[in-house]
Amino acid sequence: MKLDIGGSETIPGSADALWVALNDPKVLTRCIPGCKSMVEIGPDAYKVDMQLRVAAVGGSFEGEISLFDKEAPRACSIKVSGAGSLGHGNGTARFEIEPDGDHSCRLIYKGTGEIGGLVAGVGQRILSSVSKHLIGRFFAALRKEFEAPVSGAAE
Amino acid sequence: MNPAAPLKFVSSNRRVREDRRFVAGQGRYVADIALEGLLHVAVVPSPHPAARIVSINAAEAMKMPGVHYVLTGEELAKATEPLMNGLDTPNVRRYPLAVGQARYAGEWVVAVVAETRAQAEDAAEKVRIEYEQLAYVIDSEDAFDPKSPPVHAGHGSNVLLDKTFVWGEVEKHFAESERHLSFRVVWGRNSTVPIETFGVAAKWDPWREMLDVWASIQMPKYPDQIARALRIPLNNVRVHFDVDVGGSYGVKRGIKQTVLVSHLARVLGRPVRLIEDRLDNMRAGDAHGPDRIFDVEIAFNDDGIVNSMKMRALDNVGAYAGRSPFQLGKPIGAIVGPYKIKSVQYRAISVTSNKAAQEAVRGFGQSPTNYAIETAIDKVAVALGLDRIEVRRRNFIRSDEFPYLIPSGTRYDSGDYHTVVAKVRAHADYEGLIRERDTLRAAGQCAGIGIAACLEPSGGNSSFEPLLNEKNTTTTWMDSCRIVVDGLGFVTATIHTTSSGQGHETLVATVIGEVLEIDPDLIRIVRPDSLNSLPSNTPVGSRMAIMLGGAAFHAAQKLKAKIIKLAAHQFGCAEQEVIYAGGAVSHGASGKKLAWAEHVNIAHRNFHLLPEGMEPGLETTHVMQVPTGTKLPENGRVQMYPCHSFEFHLVLIVFDPVIGKPEIRRYVIGHDCGTVINPHIVKGMTLGGIAHGIGASLLEEFVYDSEGQMLTQSFMDYLLPSSHEVPKVEIVHHCTPSPFTVFGQKGSGESGYLGSPAAISSAINDAVAPFGISLAKLPIRIAAISDAIAAAREAKAKVKA
Repeated sequence: MKLDIGGSETIPGSADALWVALNDPKVLTRCIPGCKSMVEIGPDAYKVDMQLRVAAVGGSFEGEISLFDKEAPRACSIKVSGAGSLGHGNGTARFEIEPDGDHSCRLIYKGTGEIGGLVAGVGQRILSSVSKHLIGRFFAALRKEFEAPVSGAAE
Repeated sequence: MNPAAPLKFVSSNRRVREDRRFVAGQGRYVADIALEGLLHVAVVPSPHPAARIVSINAAEAMKMPGVHYVLTGEELAKATEPLMNGLDTPNVRRYPLAVGQARYAGEWVVAVVAETRAQAEDAAEKVRIEYEQLAYVIDSEDAFDPKSPPVHAGHGSNVLLDKTFVWGEVEKHFAESERHLSFRVVWGRNSTVPIETFGVAAKWDPWREMLDVWASIQMPKYPDQIARALRIPLNNVRVHFDVDVGGSYGVKRGIKQTVLVSHLARVLGRPVRLIEDRLDNMRAGDAHGPDRIFDVEIAFNDDGIVNSMKMRALDNVGAYAGRSPFQLGKPIGAIVGPYKIKSVQYRAISVTSNKAAQEAVRGFGQSPTNYAIETAIDKVAVALGLDRIEVRRRNFIRSDEFPYLIPSGTRYDSGDYHTVVAKVRAHADYEGLIRERDTLRAAGQCAGIGIAACLEPSGGNSSFEPLLNEKNTTTTWMDSCRIVVDGLGFVTATIHTTSSGQGHETLVATVIGEVLEIDPDLIRIVRPDSLNSLPSNTPVGSRMAIMLGGAAFHAAQKLKAKIIKLAAHQFGCAEQEVIYAGGAVSHGASGKKLAWAEHVNIAHRNFHLLPEGMEPGLETTHVMQVPTGTKLPENGRVQMYPCHSFEFHLVLIVFDPVIGKPEIRRYVIGHDCGTVINPHIVKGMTLGGIAHGIGASLLEEFVYDSEGQMLTQSFMDYLLPSSHEVPKVEIVHHCTPSPFTVFGQKGSGESGYLGSPAAISSAINDAVAPFGISLAKLPIRIAAISDAIAAAREAKAKVKA
């Protein structure tokens, strides 16, 4: 089934700092919900290992994330594909960062995905709200990175 | 039997003997079969509707705790024959696991065997499969398009069957008719989704070369199919029929599951069991029902007389065929319903698609066809401004016209449709119902009366097989019974199949009790395993009252004849001179009498007292041929089933035009299945059938999205009728005995279901008629009703503006 995502978030950090963070696998590992590990396998390409729960089902998801069409430090596309016991999915999204003062910026994103397997069959009616929730968790974690930087962030 | 003698047990209000154990929770299902060293299977489903299997890596899975084996389709295909195919389509090959290519989302690709099901499931998650996605097709009309990607490349297209029958002078009747109308209706893919999913356990004993199988099965020629697939002699396969089946209504045909576990049991030398969980069952149990588009043209006169019909039925069987294309064949035996339609053109098209494989569901395709026919009759009435019951009355076959030959070659046995309808009209107060509908409408509600009249062809044989596949020359579909009276005089009789709630033990005991005039409760009914069985089929095609009841009747008659011969020999008189009553035989002239115990004693112990040539002991068997089933088809015509039960539904449905949630305010059904053997069983079948039809018409559907993913895999999305949706049903009985059966009985295993979807669609369409709209696809979900009304209101408002 098809899935559309899109929105914008205010991040309490400079546009440049956000760009660095979004290109840092350590930050992403902490922010992506359920992300267990993220290993660089090539330039702008990572292997991810996730453990997620959607509706009544929970399981693992192994996939690849790659960044492309980079316009540093303002825009970037991201491609995600993978499969696991939860099913399979793939999608692309475009991120744009707009400065909003010196210590704040906006992240605007828009993308589409396709999901199949167990998640599509069992969780389809709540999938769009689950994806919103997961995206919300990602941004909540990302904001935290800037509010109280932990070691390893944006070094 | 003395036809004038009143029946003592048949038709009487007797408890269903099986119910005691079911109600007390003492059924013995496949999950209750305890086998030492049992291993469990979990399967890995394909996430894609069509994909080449590039690689399978089971290394991690094999390291998981408790894991014994990981089986791929490729390995299984080397060791087994493809599963049974009904049509002559040799390149549509099906194996229990996907071989080389997955053909629907959910299809089983790999099987993992472990000490427990939980361990097998955990390990299944570790199997890594690399796929290369291929083009797929989901929609039926798309699949029929020659340009669509074929599900089976070797077959070359998605068309399994495209056969047009013309019975009678269709074009002439169309030309002569004053009016024509045409329409399309769609029957959504649903099924019976039994509470007990499919399960099977198999054990291989290499020293005895014996495969033992216990399964929750309702499959014709099941042992034969297992032996063929595994390439072992049929007498090396022992299917245990004494397993209770927790619901089926056609779909428990788990041959792929059985071949899978049987192969694993042979490879591993341990008993192996697979019990589907709900997700396994819903998406890949291969147990979905018909998925059909009807295009119907009707030629009729101004007085409502229907002269001819052209029907195109396009059925989407999913990724593999099996017997499912035959579900377009069975309705040929009642293609004109209860009406005197003079000629019919019928185009039956069966296509493959990247959906789960279809299987038999209650009625074997008859309920969808009845829905199309009844929609046609409703539309004729509406077009002419005539009462819908009156149009049906004008077209009904009259009771004095039976046996009645329909254009497609079946002779209907008997019926009295006018009387059943009159009884229902009177019982329901049809005029009062119309007033109630109109009062509700005046109050701003949507209200509609639904009407459906239809037949239940019963006594199933398999004439549709040779009709749709010329290489198939099957003309018998027998069932059997053996009766043994033991040395102490107790009676034991046999059933050579499993039962899934049809009450066959009650049936056989009642029939034998009736013939032998002994208490049915004292008769033991057993189910020998397949190696000890007489030639038999399975309880499909609404046949067991006719066929198993018939076999039990004839076996009992043979037993009674033997007892009479034995007794007459003791009396030294002719057999005609003695009277059999209540198990005893008396000679009127001399006053001599032999009690039951004395026949038993002589037969079992006194060979010297037996008439010459009589075998000792008291045992008889009967192998029953389907009544009227004698010939292969000729010119596309064949006698299909012997008996035709009739049902007439009258319902009142009410709903709020904004919300659109139907409430069934009144449900009356007139039912005539000839002589009823057990009233409780027939009532249960009818009520359950109506509930099932409510699901099919309002709620249940296996929905696939345009990406080929099945969206209704759990009961959260696949909606079943509950006690909130199923109303009180009033049953009006009528009995027109069949001349072709031993007590005049007809089938009732599909009763209720065969007409309720048509009746409910009829009621909803009557309710929305004031808006000038119609709903032509089942199930008619709440959203479809409210959306259609809202759109109609919006369009009307626009016109006004």
